[in-house]
Amino acid sequence: METNESTGQKGFQTVGETKVENPRMTCRDVNVYYGDKHAIKHVGIDIGRNQVIAMIGPSGCGKSTFIRCLNRMNDTIPRCRVTGEILLDDTNIYDRDIDVVPLRAQVGMVFQKPNPFPKSIYDNVAYGPRIHGLAQNKAELDEYVETSLKRAGLWEEVKDRLDHSGTSLSGGQQQRLCIARTIAVSPEVILMDEPCSALDPIATAKIEGLIDELRTHYTIVIVTHSMQQAARVSQRTAYFHMGDLVEVGITDKVFTNPRHKLTEDYITGRFG
Amino acid sequence: MIRIIVVLAAAFTTFTFWTCTQSESRNYVSIVGSSTVYPFAAVVAEQFGRTTRFRTPILESTGSGGGIKLFCSGVGLEHPDIANASRRIKKSEVDRCRENGVNEIIEVKIGYDGIVLASSRKNPPMSISRKDIFLALAKEIPDLSGAEKLIANPHKTWKDVNSSLPDTKIEVLGPPPTSGTRDAFVELAMEGGAKTFSWIKDLKKKDKSRYKAICHTIREDGAFIEAGENDNLIIQKLEANPDAVGIFGFSFLEQNTDKIQGSSVDGFEPNFGSIAKGDYPVSRPLFMYVKKSHVGVIPGIKNYIEEFTSDKAWGEDGYLADKGMIPMPKEEREKYYNDARYLVPIEIK
Amino acid sequence: MNNSEYKQKALDKSSSGRTIEMVNKSLSRRYKAERRFRRYGQVAIIISLGFLCLLFISIISKGYPAFYQTFIQIDVFLDPDVLPKDKLSTANYPGLIKKSLSSEFPEVELRREKKQLYGMVSIGAYYQIRKMVMKNRDMIGTTQTVWVPVDDDIDMLAKGHIDRNTPELERRVKDIQLAWFDRWDKAGKIKKRFNTTFFTSGDSREPEMSGIWGAMAGSLYVLVVTLLLSFPIGVAAAVYLEEFASKSRWVDLIEVNINNLAAVPSIVFGLLGLAIFINFFGLPRSAPLVGGLVLTLMTLPIIIIASRAALQSVPPSIRQAALGVGASKMQTVFHHVFPLALPGILTGTIIGISRALGETAPLLMIGMVAFIVDVPGSFTDPSTVLPVQIYLWADSPERAFVERTSAAILVLLALLIATNFLAVLLRNRFERRW
Repeated sequence: METNESTGQKGFQTVGETKVENPRMTCRDVNVYYGDKHAIKHVGIDIGRNQVIAMIGPSGCGKSTFIRCLNRMNDTIPRCRVTGEILLDDTNIYDRDIDVVPLRAQVGMVFQKPNPFPKSIYDNVAYGPRIHGLAQNKAELDEYVETSLKRAGLWEEVKDRLDHSGTSLSGGQQQRLCIARTIAVSPEVILMDEPCSALDPIATAKIEGLIDELRTHYTIVIVTHSMQQAARVSQRTAYFHMGDLVEVGITDKVFTNPRHKLTEDYITGRFG
Repeated sequence: MIRIIVVLAAAFTTFTFWTCTQSESRNYVSIVGSSTVYPFAAVVAEQFGRTTRFRTPILESTGSGGGIKLFCSGVGLEHPDIANASRRIKKSEVDRCRENGVNEIIEVKIGYDGIVLASSRKNPPMSISRKDIFLALAKEIPDLSGAEKLIANPHKTWKDVNSSLPDTKIEVLGPPPTSGTRDAFVELAMEGGAKTFSWIKDLKKKDKSRYKAICHTIREDGAFIEAGENDNLIIQKLEANPDAVGIFGFSFLEQNTDKIQGSSVDGFEPNFGSIAKGDYPVSRPLFMYVKKSHVGVIPGIKNYIEEFTSDKAWGEDGYLADKGMIPMPKEEREKYYNDARYLVPIEIK
Repeated sequence: MNNSEYKQKALDKSSSGRTIEMVNKSLSRRYKAERRFRRYGQVAIIISLGFLCLLFISIISKGYPAFYQTFIQIDVFLDPDVLPKDKLSTANYPGLIKKSLSSEFPEVELRREKKQLYGMVSIGAYYQIRKMVMKNRDMIGTTQTVWVPVDDDIDMLAKGHIDRNTPELERRVKDIQLAWFDRWDKAGKIKKRFNTTFFTSGDSREPEMSGIWGAMAGSLYVLVVTLLLSFPIGVAAAVYLEEFASKSRWVDLIEVNINNLAAVPSIVFGLLGLAIFINFFGLPRSAPLVGGLVLTLMTLPIIIIASRAALQSVPPSIRQAALGVGASKMQTVFHHVFPLALPGILTGTIIGISRALGETAPLLMIGMVAFIVDVPGSFTDPSTVLPVQIYLWADSPERAFVERTSAAILVLLALLIATNFLAVLLRNRFERRW
């Protein structure tokens, strides 16, 4: 299981089906270093269209680090270095001439803690379309806001108080507002970094339901601590361990019949 | 927000350009120098500004040395026109002036200032000599037995110094070394007292620096307290402590006669008459130095000097006397009035 | 039942009684310590409040009388012979007042006594009559009853600062002047009025004619320059260092230097200003522009440090949120981070400006510690500032300047309180919760 760094060879073989037909994103030999620390080791995985892929693994295994590579959020961390290839529809997002601003419009992100802007609900959702110039006039902008809130399942709850502060909502509503804000710029992929870890079970259930609906429009990558959640919402599951991608496969198969010993240990609760 | 910053930046640039084009002329007289002369020069400047068509001169209190340094830094609008001093300009300063192109300097003596040793009215007035002052305040004094050597000042009370003086602790509040008053006090009172010892007087020719060290070093064991430049503060402290003695300019005594009284020195009380006549020993002349090359360039210099040297200002009944400056005798006034009027530069010795 | 659970039960059984005893025992000691600490805090606050009150009481009681000035009523005959129509500005106005005073007390003949009589009225009276005549020429030839300010010594007498029991020789107001004053007072010709001169004129060597307005205008010009320069530069520097600059040795070096600059004694900035702005760029001495530039140098580090702290305190989740929807770095900073940091930045700025408002030392070097009568009208007019005015008055021999000094301190304090109040207002206005 150790990576053989002296030869630069991949010392660890991922088991399962890393490849899918007609993927939205393709990662090849991705490595992430924080200074001297090798945080992600030679990861190769495909992310299929209009499906949910869950990243699971014990704390510190690198799953969050990995999805932050997918829209280059790691760029903001000093001393962080990424090598390898990540293709979004055949374009390497780590190419030198790639601009991260449109990339992040295409690959949106929802964070662990709900982080609405301290502005009105309307402005929160309208912010993305505004800065990207998506709406020609007020009416179009209103439509963006309404559609996004509806897709995020929040419209009925907030349609009468769009001018209220986004921070006045409950935790679950805030997280759905953040999802609405993300989908307002019509991304192709949505990254979710433990989106329910700060929420109560009812809010969690709502978000999970929402994820399932969103799958028809978007490709979703979700990092989660909860194996039940992964089992409930995802079609494919990837198991990370100490920076290595151990196993990838159809969710049902991974959970019922794990092929790797480490995956099995994790799923049966030996550690983690 | 960005817009605000851009507007501010634009405002700043235009502002800088505008001021750069503005600062090309000066239509007021610029005066620097002694803090002792400051209150007198200020009265004249104000009177001048209010009664003539010229603007009121700007007066900076920089101390005599600092003022002359600024004055000598060159010819041109950015350099002051007049320097006030509570002592005569030094040869070295004149040379410095020369180097910077300030060749012709007009010297105007404007009057006298007395330095007084004053105490609270709660005790009877003291009468002391310069010798007493030296023996009470010098760091080292001649051996009491009369031998020609120095000992650390042993005196604790005035009575130790001179048996005719009161039996109170020596406690003198005086100005710090940066002050012109301190310079004058040390030179006139301390040195005057030291000279009464003939061997010290002889030392002046043989070993000047040692002579100066003896005369000019004030004791540091707590008997002399540096009270800062604020003379009003010294007066407050004297009121609170009747045994203390304060050193400051005559004008402060003049304004506070109900609270404090001056000690007579060598038998002369500090008052207008004795200082003007030159009887009171601790007094010094006050000067004004004018840059001749600026006369006619900066409007109002000549008129300002004229106001200063008029009898209603510096005469015996003039308004400067009301403010505590001690006027010169009539002949002296006439000499300096003519020097000023015909812009006679000083001869450098 | 596994091992650890078993152990826990055993512990409970054996020591549950003792634990609660021990807790109770230590409880009273802990509460006592807490009470003691609270009391220390209260004592500290009471002591500091006491000192503050003492300061305010002493300054207000000393300075309050300066807001009133004693006036005297005299009848002045505007003699057409003394006031030729073509030479109104240079006419002998003192003569008019002297004549009026002499006619009131015809028995005064001695030259010395006459001088004392004339000395009771401020020279400000001449300027007042002059202004009145120049404004309304029709008055010439008539007798006007006017209230004019008295001399500072008489003002002190009216305010009770001069003890009538001290021997005449030691008193600034002589017996004969006391008698005149009492006669006027009985006739109702002495009155205390609000001292408008104090708030409308510049410095003067005559206390009754001196005012704070010149210094206030100077302070205002200086602060405008300081604010206009230090706020945008300081904030821009802070935003760049905090948000854009990549961490490198240079940035660390700059950071250390800025922190050191904040601790540099202010007089050093004065020397720098003298060398650069006056000697090198040739800007005029004593000008608020140069004063503002020098104080900008002084306040910049304060603003930069405060702004950086404010920017740092904005939660990173806000930055991530903005970056996550595709905002550029600049948009992230200016749409989200900066507005959230603004209250803190404003507080830092006001602290810096307040410090600049109270500064004298650096201004000494650039010639703003000066006697200036004319109220400045532009950024390059020579002027002084409030704290310098306080310093100059505190050092003046005339007794009446003591109360004016305190009054000027009151004005400065009022200004400082006003700026701080403004800071609180602005902060509340911009404060947002997240």
